[in-house]
Amino acid sequence: MSRKVCVIGVGYSDFNSMTPDIQWKEMMYGACQKAYRDAGIDVRKDVDSFITCGEDYWEGFSIFDEFVPDQIGAVLRPCMTITGDGLYGLGTAYMQIKTGLLDTVLVEAHSKISDLLTPGEIMLHAMDPIFDRPVTGPVQRPRYGGSPTYTKEEPKPLIGATDEKQRVHPYFLAGMEMQHYLRTTGTTEEHCAQIVAKNKQAAFHNPMADYEANITAEDVMGSQYLFKPLKSLEISPNVDGAIAFVLASEERARELGVEPLYMSGFGWCSDTPWLGTREFDGGYAAKAARMAYKMSRIERPREMIDIAEVDDRFSFKELQHLEALDLAKPGEGAMLLEDGELGRDGSIPTNVSGGSLGVGNCYEATGLQKALEIVVQLRGEAGRRQVDDAEIGLAQAWRGIPSNSGAVAIFQKGGA
Amino acid sequence: MTFLEKQTDPTSPMHWRGDMQADYLYPNGWAGDRFFKNLRDKGTFLATRCPKCSKVLFPARLYCEDCFVEIPENNWIEVPTSGIVRLYTFAKLDAHWEPLEKPRCMALIDIEGTDGSILGVLDVEETDEDLTGLPVEALLRPVKEREGTMKDIVCFKPSV
Repeated sequence: MSRKVCVIGVGYSDFNSMTPDIQWKEMMYGACQKAYRDAGIDVRKDVDSFITCGEDYWEGFSIFDEFVPDQIGAVLRPCMTITGDGLYGLGTAYMQIKTGLLDTVLVEAHSKISDLLTPGEIMLHAMDPIFDRPVTGPVQRPRYGGSPTYTKEEPKPLIGATDEKQRVHPYFLAGMEMQHYLRTTGTTEEHCAQIVAKNKQAAFHNPMADYEANITAEDVMGSQYLFKPLKSLEISPNVDGAIAFVLASEERARELGVEPLYMSGFGWCSDTPWLGTREFDGGYAAKAARMAYKMSRIERPREMIDIAEVDDRFSFKELQHLEALDLAKPGEGAMLLEDGELGRDGSIPTNVSGGSLGVGNCYEATGLQKALEIVVQLRGEAGRRQVDDAEIGLAQAWRGIPSNSGAVAIFQKGGA
Repeated sequence: MTFLEKQTDPTSPMHWRGDMQADYLYPNGWAGDRFFKNLRDKGTFLATRCPKCSKVLFPARLYCEDCFVEIPENNWIEVPTSGIVRLYTFAKLDAHWEPLEKPRCMALIDIEGTDGSILGVLDVEETDEDLTGLPVEALLRPVKEREGTMKDIVCFKPSV
């Protein structure tokens, strides 16, 4: 019989819109220390493998994996970095433990996005360089390889100067997709505005959240169109923070005297990178969920999932993802919202943590923020935002603009 | 946090300001070269038909992403530089989160006679009207100025 995988420890740093006083290494160290303490283990003896999730470009390093062992206790130990969301890290740890070769695995992901002065430009670099990037605006690059020579008369352009001006921000893709979602489902801009108000209000009860706000859907509707129909308050603002998970086999959890909390399923899926052949319907989430549901023996997700944390980095994404995850029928998300079903007391409490709209967009750590909320809820430690009788929870994350990829993880309190 | 003492003087944190030079030559590849040389010289688009599923792949590619089969030589087809608006948005901000000079309509255009679409700038004023399905055609640079890149497509204009 295949062994079961448990979450035995979680830890996280403070979450702030900027963190100029602390280095990314110190932030990771803090989150990992907390997770090891939570699990009651000695990292230098008890952890068999280490997984961090980070993206070279966001971090500002080439070969970022070289920069991680010391601050997580992994020097001269099996260590790897996944260029993807933290949920992919959890999935990889899950598989490592399932093999029976390893018992205890650390997974870490973080955002230190405020260190990056040009996130929009870096995100443009994620678009196809031949067909898509040139369409985003004027580019006058040297027509040769190698370093251009700069002179006194023609100095190196400063950030945002000359040739880099007037290139459209890649979030235009979210605006396009929202327009498509509204048109094909009959969901309204008001519904999306309600999602923002719901999540930012929920964030008041989450001490980790950095973007709680006492706002209404009307306030959101009154905010500026940035990528019409997407408005400024419908975009999750950037936040810095680190999150760490310790996963272990069930036997190991019992040896440590930890009440097992199971990771019972995981799925992931990548759609085509070509904008022109995508469906823009969250199909990646649907397929990832199907894989995770099968692994967890969840036949009727709408009835069986007690709490969901889904990617809401843009307001409409919460509804689109709920539908893709089969937690709502196509186009039904808005109705569930109107009926209060997505609230803490509803039938499918969604993003009670405040989601990315309330907590902030923590980039590669987004999936772990969702998973952390599920763990805290299933442990019954969520305080005023605690969902009653939460037994099975789902965490879902998308890879972000301009991707069409993502992962789903299922957690269960007992049995599994 | 785990440290006994933290920085408490907001004027104290220091940093090193770094940057990254990253210049590339991105090859168009076989299919891309043929597509762009044709655009430059003939002012039309090229697509390829999958021999297995018959989908017309656009922009032209050497393999079908659904069937994972190669496209034979005689499955290359020429298609017009026109189509209909599939997705669009009016973008107001540049990559530095600064306002664009004027709102720009970014659109994904379904190209006529194909199963694919292409990203373009739509030459329209901001409107509340639904532009989905609007017939449009590409405005190309004059032949002499074409260089065989996406820059040869100045924008898409509503068909008259």
